[in-house]
Amino acid sequence: MNEPLANRGAERTTAVLRETAGRIAPARATAVLVDQVLAGATDSFFGVESPIGTVYVAVGPDGVRYLAPAASEKEFARYYRERFGRFVSPAVSVGSEDLAGRVAAALSGERVEVPLDLSGATPFQRRVLETVKGIARGQVRPYVWVASEAGSPGASRAVGNVMANNPVPLLVPCHRVVRNDGRTGSYAFGAGEKVRLLRSEGVSPEEISGSPYVATPTTGIVCHTTCRNAKRIQPENRRVFRSAASAVEAGYRPCKVCRPVVAA
Amino acid sequence: MEVKARTLDEIVGIDPLAARLAEGDPLAPKALAERHYVELYRYALSVLREERAAEDAVQDAFERAFAALGRYPEERLRAMRLRPWMYRITLNVARNRLRERREVPVEEISSAGVALSDEGRESVMDVLAALGRLPERQRVAVTLRYLQDLPYVEISGVTGWPEGTAKTLVRRGVARLRKIMAVENPKGGMG
Repeated sequence: MNEPLANRGAERTTAVLRETAGRIAPARATAVLVDQVLAGATDSFFGVESPIGTVYVAVGPDGVRYLAPAASEKEFARYYRERFGRFVSPAVSVGSEDLAGRVAAALSGERVEVPLDLSGATPFQRRVLETVKGIARGQVRPYVWVASEAGSPGASRAVGNVMANNPVPLLVPCHRVVRNDGRTGSYAFGAGEKVRLLRSEGVSPEEISGSPYVATPTTGIVCHTTCRNAKRIQPENRRVFRSAASAVEAGYRPCKVCRPVVAA
Repeated sequence: MEVKARTLDEIVGIDPLAARLAEGDPLAPKALAERHYVELYRYALSVLREERAAEDAVQDAFERAFAALGRYPEERLRAMRLRPWMYRITLNVARNRLRERREVPVEEISSAGVALSDEGRESVMDVLAALGRLPERQRVAVTLRYLQDLPYVEISGVTGWPEGTAKTLVRRGVARLRKIMAVENPKGGMG
């Protein structure tokens, strides 16, 4: 076979290949396929108004993974990748609109269940976050209580660390966790913001500070100051305590609803 | 050889999309998927010859790609050449899927989700079947060069072969392919 003929044959073959390439296209619209890629390969996010201003919320397949204020979407996406090693894309699906609505409702104080994905947390962190999630609006609890309820009595400091790194603040209301002496303490978004948030929820930081426990001789029970039972105590019967242990020493027994921790 | 020693960076340049991903541009992941979906699909289809399997392979490739990129430090991400990198992942995924399938009874390839007319599809599939009969390295080289239209420097970036090797594989692959197609379709008409 001589050279030019071989070349011509090769040219025809490559022409067939190029022509074939032009005829291959996905059966479905590219936009649909791209959305499918993003749904599987990235998490979604949206912005929402909250008591601390605009915050951004990142959502994985199992629920909300991250909530944070940020100067821009870009900054948020960057934080998210640094922390979770995943990219975010703007939320598009109908399902996420529904979730965005739920998050907005929860942040405005409604009692709405928002699915959370805390899979990035250690078992201890998750127990702590789950415990804190249960602290109702209008109430506060000290670190020592959270530690005890989470099954790690005495781990107050570790609880403080979990609060400082809470991936979903407001949804897990870490602002409702206060120092063991009743002072509000620090907050990821500023101590003043914590005070302001608590006030907006009907909690008086002054009332709790230094006197996180209240007892009454009528029932002989000691409660956290924000416990719903404590709120019913008549002013003349209020006995305030700095610790549950001192109340127990004075002859009171811990409330079964708010379960104050009687540590020595 | 020293004269030719240009790096891929110099030829291809820095990928602006890599910088956008590194900086947190939330539209960058979508831009990456849009930019490469169709070409990677074409590659996957050429290997797997079944539309749904090709979609699955590309989906898998993107999921792996984003999972890996998400964990890269910002500076490394910024310097990425995303196109050859996406190809590398897609090549691996498609090859592994083909192997898995070969362990299952042969020729049970369904033809669900056909976009082309039956006739058009048949001729495309004939060409792909002919490609599939090449030795693997030749098939990869010919596919990247003529179906994907990659320049040799990128083929080299994707496969890790020196450019000369890629050229040789393409030349031999095309010659062989020509014979295969001549035997299967003696009149020379493709579709």
